[in-house]
Amino acid sequence: MNTAFHFDTLVWDWPIAVYLLLIGISSGMVIIAVLLKRYILVVNAADDGVIKATTIIAPLTVILGLVILIFHLARSWTFWYLMVFYNPHSIMSLGVMLFQIYMAVLILWIIAIYQAKISDIINLAWVSRLVRLIAKGERGLDIIMIFLAVLLGVYTGFLLLALKSYPLLNNPVLPLLFLASGLTSAVAMAILCGLMFYKQSVHSPSLAFIHKLELPLIIMEFGLLAVFFIGLIFGGGQKEVAATTALRGFWGAVFWLGVMGLGILLPIALKLLCSERTKFNKAYLVTMSAIGLCSVFILRMFILYAGQMVMA
Amino acid sequence: MGVSRRGFIMGIGGAALAANPINRILAEVINPQTLVIGNIRYGMVHDETKCICCRACILPCHRENKVPAEVTRLDSLDNGTYRELNKNSRQFVRKSCQHCDNPPCVAVCPTGASYKDPKTGIVDVHHDRCVGCRYCLAACPYHVRFIHPLSKTADKCNFCRDTNLAAGKPPACVAICPVKALTFGNLDDPDSDIAKLIASKTVYRNKLYLGTSPKLYHIAGKFGEIRG
Ligand code: SF4
Ligand code: SF4
Ligand code: SF4
Repeated sequence: MNTAFHFDTLVWDWPIAVYLLLIGISSGMVIIAVLLKRYILVVNAADDGVIKATTIIAPLTVILGLVILIFHLARSWTFWYLMVFYNPHSIMSLGVMLFQIYMAVLILWIIAIYQAKISDIINLAWVSRLVRLIAKGERGLDIIMIFLAVLLGVYTGFLLLALKSYPLLNNPVLPLLFLASGLTSAVAMAILCGLMFYKQSVHSPSLAFIHKLELPLIIMEFGLLAVFFIGLIFGGGQKEVAATTALRGFWGAVFWLGVMGLGILLPIALKLLCSERTKFNKAYLVTMSAIGLCSVFILRMFILYAGQMVMA
Repeated sequence: MGVSRRGFIMGIGGAALAANPINRILAEVINPQTLVIGNIRYGMVHDETKCICCRACILPCHRENKVPAEVTRLDSLDNGTYRELNKNSRQFVRKSCQHCDNPPCVAVCPTGASYKDPKTGIVDVHHDRCVGCRYCLAACPYHVRFIHPLSKTADKCNFCRDTNLAAGKPPACVAICPVKALTFGNLDDPDSDIAKLIASKTVYRNKLYLGTSPKLYHIAGKFGEIRG
């Protein structure tokens, strides 16, 4: 009984795609927030909607992603073994280490952002002293944080790349593709939150900066996808079979319509066709961001399912 | 004595060479993954020219190793029907864990639950340490692993390590085969049946290009192409 969602060689199903999406959002938002902090909002970063959104969404998406992962284990209650036993050869095990460091630094980084507010609210001498100590390292934290976020962004790619059993996944372009699509989803998320929850102006410095990232990211993603498939096709053998199988049938349709159509062609076309006024229309931006998020999820679903259809 | 296939044939070629310790040490330096010196390295041969796909091997595997009916540690797959002397002959290939010397399932396992026993070369699972993440199921290029429906841990053929082998008997599937299509034994012992069989026949192993160094050898059926 083989269908698009159930076939013999399928091991990991859709919750993993949700996990990949969430981790990508977290990584991308932190990268963008650090860039914003360092280059655009040199003072008062804590008052910016995008930064505020990042300090909430970046940790939440990771926690939610990990919860999904834990419930996806066949023995969920043994999840803590992952934090006790390590295998340095296993990308997943290295990922567990990365998650712990990432979360720890993320908390410090967030404290540093809200240093003034925390000292205002909690009127304890030792708290302010601690916060001041953390805030002193803000520059360093920014650099470590962006480094960890890039690692997290490529990590999900390496997780699948390590599977030499599936030629489509065992592809060196995958980590970069996931990093780029993570950034795309983060841009969409940042615009959505900035506009909807923080009522930020479309012309505010942070949203204007993020807006400028959109097109280059989409073009980069297109290039990476092209290299991804051209590499597979010229690789011959099962690589070629994997690529041609993925680009046909149900998952082929998902790719051409969802990834290429919604994720790449539609935004490029609208960028070229729409007037400046529409481009800064709030409803338009919210819709486009929602479509952007969907297309990133579709990409992750496509890679996950189509990737497991053909074995080496 | 440590053996990669080529080293093995060389060893058979001259008994003196096979017994020469310098040869062994050199061989280990050249190819440490596939060579275990002075130990047992269990492997299996499936002779496709003999197999009649009676599936007798599957039943005792389930019974001895307490494998529930909805999953299986081994299977016999159809490999085409061919005409010979005016009668149709069918051929079959065995699907089961290859006990890779360089096993991807072990490399990816985050908790070290999947491991290769250095004393026997058997690839097995520490069931009490497995979290059921299925990473190894995905990483195995031979697609032979599954989540055991009762223990909820990764499972697969372990050469009957806890059952028949522990009791000093050959693996259940090997013992029952009515046409003696399965041979099990120590690849590193030049006098073992398996070593002699491999030395005397043309054998193949699956997906060698992935660098897994499997220890399940096949004697190809008489007809058609080898789909290795
Ligand atoms: S055949 Fe699969 S399960 Fe068996 S050792 Fe090799 S990779 Fe592991
Ligand atoms: S399912 Fe178990 S044996 Fe397999 S990789 Fe995960 S923890 Fe290891
Ligand atoms: S060796 Fe044992 S565990 Fe492996 S397939 Fe044969 S009977 Fe099953």
